[in-house]
Amino acid sequence: MLAKYFGSGRSGAFDWYFQRVSGVGLLVTLFLHFFVLHYATEGPLTYAKVMARLSSPAWKAIDITFLVFAIYHAMNGFKLIIDDYVHGTGLRAILIGALWVLAIAFLGLGLLTIVSL
Amino acid sequence: MAKSVTFSVFRYDPEQGRKPHYTDYQVDIERPGMMVLDGLNQIRWRQDGTLAYRRSCREGVCGSDGINVNGVNMLSCITHIEDLKDPIVVQPLPSMPVIKDLVVDLTDFYEKFYLVKPYLITKGPPPSDRERLQTPEQRKLLDGLYECILCACCTTSCPSYWADPEYLGPSALLNAWRFIVDSRDDGADERLEIINNRNGAWRCHTILNCVEACPKLLNPTEAIGQIKKTIVQRKF
Repeated sequence: MLAKYFGSGRSGAFDWYFQRVSGVGLLVTLFLHFFVLHYATEGPLTYAKVMARLSSPAWKAIDITFLVFAIYHAMNGFKLIIDDYVHGTGLRAILIGALWVLAIAFLGLGLLTIVSL
Repeated sequence: MAKSVTFSVFRYDPEQGRKPHYTDYQVDIERPGMMVLDGLNQIRWRQDGTLAYRRSCREGVCGSDGINVNGVNMLSCITHIEDLKDPIVVQPLPSMPVIKDLVVDLTDFYEKFYLVKPYLITKGPPPSDRERLQTPEQRKLLDGLYECILCACCTTSCPSYWADPEYLGPSALLNAWRFIVDSRDDGADERLEIINNRNGAWRCHTILNCVEACPKLLNPTEAIGQIKKTIVQRKF
C-alpha cells in the first residue's frame, strides 16, 4: 500500500505552487488589460489608435504574458480536476495528454494572433 | 422541552438481505442535557436490541462513536439532543463500508494513519539521564494537533476523500504535521516524502468540512496548509 505514495516526480507540489503563481500573474495582467482597454486610451476610439497599441512590442509582450498565464492556469485547473476524479492510470494519461494538445493548440493560436497584428 | 424526539436511524444488516433503510424511534427526554448517545442507548436497551453502534468512554475522549447526525459528523456522546432539529437523522460515517447499522469499517482510515509514521523517529541516541526535553515554545507548537482522537469524523466528511479513496485524508495529514513540527522528532523528511504525492496533501482543496466536523475543535485544513507551505519552501 505504501508504494502508491512513493516515486513519480509529478507529486503535485509544482502544480499547486504554480497554480497560485499563475493566479497572481493572471490577476495583475487581467487588471492591466482591463485598465488599458477602458481607461488608458483617450476617446474617441479609432482604428488607428487600436492598431497602434496592438502592434507595439510592449503591448505584445503584455498580451503574451497574459496568454501564457491564462492557458497555464486553465489547463492546470483541468489537470487538478482529473487528478481528483480519475484514478485509472491509463485514462488519466490520455486525458492529461489531451490537455497538453489543447494547451499547445490554444497557445499557438494565441501567439499567432498577437504576433501577426 | 419536548417530551420525546424522533430518531430516524440508518439500519443495515448484510446478513438479513434487506436493503439499507431508516427506522424511526421515539426517544423519551427524561432529563435535561441528554446526549445523542443516551438516545441510542435508550433505543437499544428498551426498544430494539438489534441496533448496532460503537461507543466506549461516553465523554468525547476515546473517539469510538463518530457518526453522522443531521448531515454533520460528530461524536454522539458529546452532542446534545436539544441542540438538534427534530427529527434527528442518524447515519454512519459517510463513504466508509458499513458493517452493520452505524458501525463502519475503519481499516482504510487506520492504514492511512500508519502510512504517515505517527510515532517518534529519532536519529541520535536518547539522552541517558533524562527524557527528551522541549522548551515551552516548542511544546506550544503541538497544541491543536496532539488532541486528535482518531474518531474519523474529519476524514469521512472530506469530499476529496470521497472522490479519491487513496487520498490520505485530513486526519492522517494532521497527525503527520503533529510529528513534523515536534522538536524531538527527526522524521520530517521521510514523512514529507510520503505526503508530497498526488494522493497526499495536494488533494486538499481547503473545503473546510474537516474543521466543521472535528469534535475536538482542531483545524486539519490549517495543518495541511502548513504542510503544503513547507514542501513548497523546500522545493522552490
